[in-house]
Amino acid sequence: MTKFAPHDLCCVPCQISRQDFLRAALALAASPLLRFVPAKAAEGVEVSEIAPGVFVHQGRYELQSPENRGDMANASFVVGTDSVAVIDTLGSAVAGRELRAAIRAVTDKPIRYVINTHMHPDHVFGNAAFKQDNPTFVGHYKLARGLGSRAERYLAINKMMLGDAAFEGIEIILPTLAVETSTTLDLGGRSLVLETQRTAHTDNDLTITDTATDTLFLGDLLFSVHVPTLDGSIKGWLALLDDLAGKKAARVVPGHGPHAMELPEALTPEQRYLATIAADVRKLIKDGKTLEDATKTAGFSERDAWKLFDHYHVRNVTAAFAELEWE
Amino acid sequence: MLLSLTRLGYAAGAAALATVLLLGPVAKADEDVWPALKQQAFGDRAIQAEDGMVVLEIPGTAEDAALVPLTVRVPPRVAQTLKSLTIFIDKNPDPKVATLHFGPAQGTGGERSFSTRVRIDNFSYVRAVLETEDGVLHMASKFVAAAGGCGAMQAKDPDSETVGLGKMIVKTFPPALDASPIWSAQVMIKHPNSNGMQLDINTAKVIPARYVDQMRVKRGGELVFDMDGTFSISTNPNFRFTFGRGADNSLDVAITDTDGAKFAAQSEPSGF
Repeated sequence: MTKFAPHDLCCVPCQISRQDFLRAALALAASPLLRFVPAKAAEGVEVSEIAPGVFVHQGRYELQSPENRGDMANASFVVGTDSVAVIDTLGSAVAGRELRAAIRAVTDKPIRYVINTHMHPDHVFGNAAFKQDNPTFVGHYKLARGLGSRAERYLAINKMMLGDAAFEGIEIILPTLAVETSTTLDLGGRSLVLETQRTAHTDNDLTITDTATDTLFLGDLLFSVHVPTLDGSIKGWLALLDDLAGKKAARVVPGHGPHAMELPEALTPEQRYLATIAADVRKLIKDGKTLEDATKTAGFSERDAWKLFDHYHVRNVTAAFAELEWE
Repeated sequence: MLLSLTRLGYAAGAAALATVLLLGPVAKADEDVWPALKQQAFGDRAIQAEDGMVVLEIPGTAEDAALVPLTVRVPPRVAQTLKSLTIFIDKNPDPKVATLHFGPAQGTGGERSFSTRVRIDNFSYVRAVLETEDGVLHMASKFVAAAGGCGAMQAKDPDSETVGLGKMIVKTFPPALDASPIWSAQVMIKHPNSNGMQLDINTAKVIPARYVDQMRVKRGGELVFDMDGTFSISTNPNFRFTFGRGADNSLDVAITDTDGAKFAAQSEPSGF
């Protein structure tokens, strides 16, 4: 398993300029020493502190398997003076328990909130590990409908792919606090601002801003390295990314990708990927081509730019075609 | 509780469908349902399997089980007119996808084809059974690995699903060679084609089934085909098919759904 150094602050996968290095060094000097919490067990979950009190675990760029136990998306937690909020819980109760152990290695403050950025199993199937904390489960008001209607299929697929040992203990836990537009959670000394977004990656994406450190958690509205997965609206997603590019957060945390990245560069590859699909599909539709034609050609220029491309790309093109043919 | 509701919804939705070919809520994965299906649809009539008179194109693995492109082709060497075409997905809750009854404007003298997009609920055989003018049945089949197309909510954005319901687009495409007597066309309709197996978590009720069950396509007043459809056809039903060249190549398409709603459209000028 890859180990992350404590100074692994800016993880944009590009060359770091001297200025960036100096800025990062200054930021480090000005802030208390950030922590790296290695996993206790060989198969455990390790976390890095990307800003004071903000911890991120980087998921693997893989499909769920017995070996990775559904540890394939980023999961974070924010520690206030009174309580802790967890942002996404990984893809199994087993991995969720490991995440909880990582939290307990940092703080014994109560875990009061478990926030899910959207409905996908790799972000919500670890919820059960936090039931013992009796937290408020928080999500977009459309999360319950989206996850509820897909629950049976999600459980069946994950049982098959995770195997019995890693599937053990998984439960569908829907939000007990549904966010309509926005809400603020007070953790003591810092608060989290939760905002629902329009249909983009899914129809239930929620973003979270930690006001103390100006860290913006984008969930799967931002994929880096891992190919994006389209389960909402390609037009909505592209429009939302334009809006997000204008935000002024100190750093953003992707749903899949490095621990932390910077705006607006962090969004560029994903914008390019989605725009390429949209342009290719629109041209095929204009030329009277079929969905089958599109699944063989559209967006394939992006193939080398992403991990897991072969697993998700054709599905993305299918969804884009079905949406764009009605323009 | 949630899961039992979903199961209940699934069974209730399936039970509500009084379709002739309904075999029960879900066929077991290892059960060969085709002999029973065949008996119900065609009785004791013989079927010539894989005799090259009909070709079925569908991906062996469906990337999105709720939206699987399917094409049936009748090769140019088949000169006969066609009586009917029935498409089956053995393991779907309602295995019959659609039956087409062809009319005089179906066209001959070139390759004929019919394409749509389907939901596939389980690993299943997909079959196209073609009945030619001489009354002989011909079948092409293919096994498809796909799961969860019907029980899953297909709408990525359910709130926008019924916006513009009934909007239709009908296009015709002249052949590449002027001499060819076969034209092609596309029909699209905005319609959820909901299958009655989706749970609305907010109301804990099953979303009632509502799908396109009849489509009639005419060219200049003559029938191209009548289609009986089911919810195995994907949301926003989409068809591509061929028809015979006539004096007037504009198409009239009339669609009804299970709520009795009627939709109609005429083709845009060809080439658009």
